[in-house]
Amino acid sequence: MIANYPLLTTLIFLPLAGCLLLLALWNRAVFARTAAFGVAVVELALTGWLYASWQGLAGGATVVPGYLLLEDAPWIPSFGIRYSLGLDGISLLMVMLTAFTFCVALAVSWNAIKERAVLFLTLMLVMESGIMGVFLALDLALFYLFWEIMLIPMFFLIGVWGHGRRIYSTIKFFLFTMFGSLLMLLAIIALHLLYARQSGVATFSLHELLHTQLPLDTQLWLFAAFFLAFAIKFPLFPLHTWLPDAHTDAPTAGSVVLAGLLLKTGSYGLIRFGYPLFPLAAHAFTPLFYTLALLGIFYASLIAFAQEDMKRLVAYSSIGHMGYVAIGIAAWNPVALSGSILQMANHAVTTGALFCLIGMLDERAHTRDIAAFGGLWGKIPLWSFFILIFSLASLGLPGLNSFVGEFLILAGTIKTAPMVVVLSFVGIILPLIYMVRLLQEVVFQKERQPLVMSDLDLREITILAALLLLNIWVGVHPAPLLDMIHLPVQLLTGGAS
Amino acid sequence: MTSGDLMALMPILILVSGSVLCLLVGAVKPGRYLYTAAIVVVSAAFLWSCAVPDAAILPGLSVTPFSRFSAAFLYGTGIISLLLSLSYNSRCGIAGEEYPATILFALAGMGVTCAATDLLMLFLGLEAFTFAFYILVAIKRGSAGGGEAGLKYLLNGTLSAAILAMGIALVYAARGTIKLTELVSTGGGAPEPLFLVGGCLILMGMAFKLSLVPAHLWTADVYQGAPAPVTALLSTSSKGASLAALLLLVPLFGTWHGLHDILWLLALSNLLAGNLAALAQKNLKRMLAWSSVGQMGYVALALVAAHAGGARAAAFYLVVYATAGMAAFGVVSVISDEDGFDAIEAYRGLGYRNPLAGAVLAVAMFSLAGIPPAAGFMGKFAVFAAALRGGEFGLALVGMLSALVAVFFYLRVVVVMYMKSSDAPLVVVPVRRLNIVEAAALLIPAFVLVLLGVYPQPLLELLEKIII
Repeated sequence: MIANYPLLTTLIFLPLAGCLLLLALWNRAVFARTAAFGVAVVELALTGWLYASWQGLAGGATVVPGYLLLEDAPWIPSFGIRYSLGLDGISLLMVMLTAFTFCVALAVSWNAIKERAVLFLTLMLVMESGIMGVFLALDLALFYLFWEIMLIPMFFLIGVWGHGRRIYSTIKFFLFTMFGSLLMLLAIIALHLLYARQSGVATFSLHELLHTQLPLDTQLWLFAAFFLAFAIKFPLFPLHTWLPDAHTDAPTAGSVVLAGLLLKTGSYGLIRFGYPLFPLAAHAFTPLFYTLALLGIFYASLIAFAQEDMKRLVAYSSIGHMGYVAIGIAAWNPVALSGSILQMANHAVTTGALFCLIGMLDERAHTRDIAAFGGLWGKIPLWSFFILIFSLASLGLPGLNSFVGEFLILAGTIKTAPMVVVLSFVGIILPLIYMVRLLQEVVFQKERQPLVMSDLDLREITILAALLLLNIWVGVHPAPLLDMIHLPVQLLTGGAS
Repeated sequence: MTSGDLMALMPILILVSGSVLCLLVGAVKPGRYLYTAAIVVVSAAFLWSCAVPDAAILPGLSVTPFSRFSAAFLYGTGIISLLLSLSYNSRCGIAGEEYPATILFALAGMGVTCAATDLLMLFLGLEAFTFAFYILVAIKRGSAGGGEAGLKYLLNGTLSAAILAMGIALVYAARGTIKLTELVSTGGGAPEPLFLVGGCLILMGMAFKLSLVPAHLWTADVYQGAPAPVTALLSTSSKGASLAALLLLVPLFGTWHGLHDILWLLALSNLLAGNLAALAQKNLKRMLAWSSVGQMGYVALALVAAHAGGARAAAFYLVVYATAGMAAFGVVSVISDEDGFDAIEAYRGLGYRNPLAGAVLAVAMFSLAGIPPAAGFMGKFAVFAAALRGGEFGLALVGMLSALVAVFFYLRVVVVMYMKSSDAPLVVVPVRRLNIVEAAALLIPAFVLVLLGVYPQPLLELLEKIII
């Protein structure tokens, strides 16, 4: 019954259909806001239902091992492009994360976006569709299409509702990503043609292209193009320079989606496409990947320490945290990879929460300058409590989510690359320095400017509490999620046979 | 001539007689009803081309599936352009029956071009519509820009016509025939030198029409100086008809490798010159003009790989480009009143002050930049797939990188429209409500762009059938 209903298509196109609803409510921002949030909640409920029934779905036999749901239809036969979607444990986790993050992002910008609110909501829903598509597409051309589509709403989000040098930031963001993407497009077409030459079948289907026989040097070229595209999204040092600008100048909802989801599309792409398609080249790239990840961890942490703008500080910390995800992928064994995938979700929750918190403070004080604050513990205790606990989560406090992810990554990597693990342990200390500085200056210390501020309201508390619950749940009991991604990870790393 | 032939040729006959009637009736009773009549005439030709069977084989003309499709598409752009002219001309004081009559004549010329089976007819068709454009570009009497543009176009155009004619003469001298089917070079190796010289001269003449570097220098000035609806037509249908002619001419060279080299150089120089020059433009019309030079680079890139399905890709790309160009120049037509409002910066806040025009221009920009879901992406996809299949890896890489440059200048327009406030103390374009005709003229190409971007399969299938 479930298998016949195009559930994945629904997941992708429900938000887009929601846009039509918004068109009808174009001049009624209040209703439109509720409608958009309603669509996001329905989407979340859908993914929740999928999560609740994934074990049942896993029982049913699908054509491709590891996949819970598949959809496939011809789309552009002249190009060999099919509309093929698939959901496995990894996609399911990402899809859940997407639906959840969009609920958070819409809720957090409830009052913050006053101008052109309906346009904002429409773009958010379009972006949700695009990101869902990225996490579900199994046809490389289709994947690329969604990959590009999700950029356009973000481009407007930063450019129209951003702060500071928003236009500079959004163009930089767009050009950086386009640069990588265009080269990846060439590589995708080249791979398609090489496979067609070998097998006589013109296809972009991932599961067919996996059978392409490629010599190492061809693999290296193609993988380099894929790697570049994903590394820019990741972002890996030294391709990260768009990120601090984009994060800082984006509106809060934009930062949450950027950090929570757009960065994850990079790591997801590498896991789903880059490594499986070009295993030899990926292996050859491993030392470079480790080096860049480590450099990123150290460099970003040091730069974060020097930031005066809180949002910029968190943005740099993001680069550092994604470095661990990169290490786990580079190690490419079941334990480390599971850790990376889990850490992708954890980072979205933790960093998303931090961006929410800073956004809330910005709405009240109209500044994000660390030097402007002090003694907030006494003034807005709830806010201070939340930022304290999410900072601790971001530092990897046991019992909270990041600990689990980072532990798995390092435990999995230590066998293959002990030196990398030793260095990344050193790297774990560095966030302590800038986070403690942030907390000490903003939350504790004496008040530096007399600011009149109200504490969090119910809406804000609900958002943060939901994030915190998720955070603690993953921190204490990650087993259900690890079970969910177990089989796909085994299949990816070749450990299941 | 049988009645069947007459039926097949009817679109061209309708257009020619419509044009003549328009002039005659206009002399007695001028008025704006002539535009409506012209639109009806072109629509009739459009429908007829879609419907008639391809039967007629006349001396020099043959209605094939290819010619029918190309003609229908060109007539379609003609309809949009006339719709745009309707209010533009009354706002900008372009009166007189000669305007619709000349457009009808130009469209008839394009119809002849697509259906030509010998070099003479091809020349006739090409020069017929180019001749019409000489008039249209300079139709706004008293406008300095228009006069300058007209003169530039005329001088360049006559030179290219002379080159084209010389080329045809040499080809005739070499082979003793002007029939395209008999001229197709068969067998390996290079054709005889005299034929090659003639062929290359023909190519040079075509390069002018398609604004291929180095015969592109007229483009920016003419696009800027001509009335916007004329520019819309010039930048789309005249390119389309010229590409159709070029596709008819390519088989003449057989497997001669020199053609590949020439096209390769043309593609490279177009990609670089067009996209880099567009980067520096401050005027929207000039930016679009230079960008169209760059866009022609992608068409040439596809033609380089003509043996690997590139001809189809080129045709598909041109359809997509022309649709986007129509939408972009359509917005320029409805927005600009008098000269001076074409600066990109003057479009500040247009996305909110005139949501329809802003959205259509944004869709056109995304399409030209090759960003999905607009059709431009599918066009680029087709071109790059063909180029890689043909083994043109280096050129494809250049194409990719110049596409990145192009993204920047296309996005700048979007940025200005949506992200810059219109409060600044600078001139911005005035805003008025669009009437239903203008809205239709903008929405049709925008709709086609999105449709082709999401579901290009029917068009691709059609092109597979009609282009071998």
